[in-house]
Amino acid sequence: MRIGNLGIGSLRLQLLAWVVLPLAGLAAINLWTSQRNALATADLVTDRMLVGSARAIAEQVAMADGALDATVPPAAIEMFDTGDRDSVYYRVETAGGRLLTGYPDLPAAPERGSIEAAYRDHPLRLATLSHAVIGAGTDSPIKVTVGVTLAGHDAMAKRLWLSAFAQQLALVAIAGVFVLLGLRRGLAPLIRLRDAVRSRSRSDLDPVEVPGAQSEIRPLIEALNAYMERVRAQMAAQRRFIANAAHQLRTPLALLSTQASYALRETAAAQRQEALVALQASSGKLARLAEQLLTLSRAEPGSRRPRADRIDLTEAARHVLETQAPAAIERDIDLGLEENGPVPVIGDGTMLREMIVNLVDNALRYSKPGGSVTVKLAAADGEAELTVSDAGPGIPAEEREHVFERFYRLAGSAEEGSGLGLAIVREVVENAGGSVTLGEPATGGLKVEVRLPLAAADDGTA
Amino acid sequence: MRLLLVEDNRELADWLSKTLRQASYVVDVVHDGEDVEHALAAGDHALIILDLALPRMGGMEVLKRLRARGNPVPVIVLTANASLDGRVKGLNEGADDYLAKPFQIEELEARIRVQLRRVNDRTAPVISCGDLLFDTNTRLFSLAGATLPLTPREHAVLEQLVVKAGRTVSKAALSTAIYDFETDADPSAIEIYVHRLRKKLEGSRVQIATLRGLGYLLRQDDPAP
Repeated sequence: MRIGNLGIGSLRLQLLAWVVLPLAGLAAINLWTSQRNALATADLVTDRMLVGSARAIAEQVAMADGALDATVPPAAIEMFDTGDRDSVYYRVETAGGRLLTGYPDLPAAPERGSIEAAYRDHPLRLATLSHAVIGAGTDSPIKVTVGVTLAGHDAMAKRLWLSAFAQQLALVAIAGVFVLLGLRRGLAPLIRLRDAVRSRSRSDLDPVEVPGAQSEIRPLIEALNAYMERVRAQMAAQRRFIANAAHQLRTPLALLSTQASYALRETAAAQRQEALVALQASSGKLARLAEQLLTLSRAEPGSRRPRADRIDLTEAARHVLETQAPAAIERDIDLGLEENGPVPVIGDGTMLREMIVNLVDNALRYSKPGGSVTVKLAAADGEAELTVSDAGPGIPAEEREHVFERFYRLAGSAEEGSGLGLAIVREVVENAGGSVTLGEPATGGLKVEVRLPLAAADDGTA
Repeated sequence: MRLLLVEDNRELADWLSKTLRQASYVVDVVHDGEDVEHALAAGDHALIILDLALPRMGGMEVLKRLRARGNPVPVIVLTANASLDGRVKGLNEGADDYLAKPFQIEELEARIRVQLRRVNDRTAPVISCGDLLFDTNTRLFSLAGATLPLTPREHAVLEQLVVKAGRTVSKAALSTAIYDFETDADPSAIEIYVHRLRKKLEGSRVQIATLRGLGYLLRQDDPAP
């Protein structure tokens, strides 16, 4: 039985069905037996009456003037007058089968017990009684057969059964009502919870309180509250980020506007040209900042379906370096890759590549012309190691933890970074289950070390 | 007029000062809150444009210290935080005006003019001395109805004199007003600028008088009797 499909998935209907349907089944079995009982009772009563009536008739049979005289006493017939207009038939015959009185074609019934038979198109219930008559000789014992139509019998059975039926029905109905009342009471906290959740304004993520909630419902409420707390924390982080991002966009926008105004007012062609070139560079930086903001929002947990690409860090780094090479050459920076074979890791390929772009971009940005930037890859002890070293100004030890914070910029730094590059790196690396640390190469500058879990041995499909 | 721009974003500071110099202001730039005090002591600036997000010492702290020392120099605060709270806090700490980034340079200039007029107790945008007029909005001088062509240095000297019209301006004060920190101040050059200005003002009803040991004074010729 699939009660789960009942109704429209209503808990109330389900519980009602689970209680009332079995109860109704039991009641049906009960009714069936009580009908059989009623019939048996009616049979018994009718049979006793038939035997009683036959005895009353038999006792009136006596020898008179050497012959058997059968006179039927009215009481023997009237005892069947129960108001159901039953017809009573009888026959009195000798042991030899000679008819003394009554209906000769009345069906015979066995001694002891009774039978049902059709007579004159009516079903009859018949009983036969043998009775010894003193002095009757071979005619004794006589046989008295009495039959009665079934109206009284059926009415009695019906009456007996109907009262049982009414009782059963009342029982099921009362049980149903109690189930409904119980459910209403039991489900009330759930309904209150529904109302509490439904009535909230969308921004209101305060914990729900449902007084009187049962121990079964309380975990649901707690889970709901914990979930809302998580959503709230995430929304708060998002809001902070957006506020910060808006804040960070304002200064570059002011710069663009200033450069444009300057160019518009300047009449000397050379200065104007210089302002326009600077304007172009500024808008490029702004575009890069917008791109980084987007990357960072994508790197946030929950904002992107987690991916488990198998990517080769060496290949990815090579690709990034090839893209960045023109910028390095232009600034006379020696950009190099040191690797000894593939370094496979599992993670989001796009984000891991973006992470390398940010590291290399940072290193180039803070390197002076003539400096060098080295990207080194190694795989050891189940760990992939990506190191990006530059010979720039480096980061003082006490600042190293802060530079991973979004929009954090070193005091006194002349270079106009967005303050997002390392934040992106950390977010991506931690999402991939790795860690990132800052250090100083022996030659000075900055060394960024990224460690990621190495992917399992090459399965030939990488 | 010599202004002090305090802004840590070097590019913005660079281009903002260039644009203000286009409008004949003398502009000094510092990138750090801690440098403001020294700059002010050396430059006697007429106005400060102060960014709030500064490394080491924040703009709000700079402002607080400035006012605590009783320095009344007008301060226009620049900030990337345009919230009402921030604005009110800035004004309460003694800022004279508040401008949220990004802004149009025209608006910044208009606000600078308002503050400079206010500090010189004037409400009219045009200062006159005889037939010499200085329009503080266009920042142009005109003499007898015709625009007076001036080099930036001459402009700075004459502006200083016209703003203080009727009062003596010392040679040192003039020197401070016209040279920014990047230029080697040359007090003797002042005499050359004054000389050139006198030539350009010849035949008009204003003249620059020299008061030996005191300085210079812009004054109106008494109408010939």
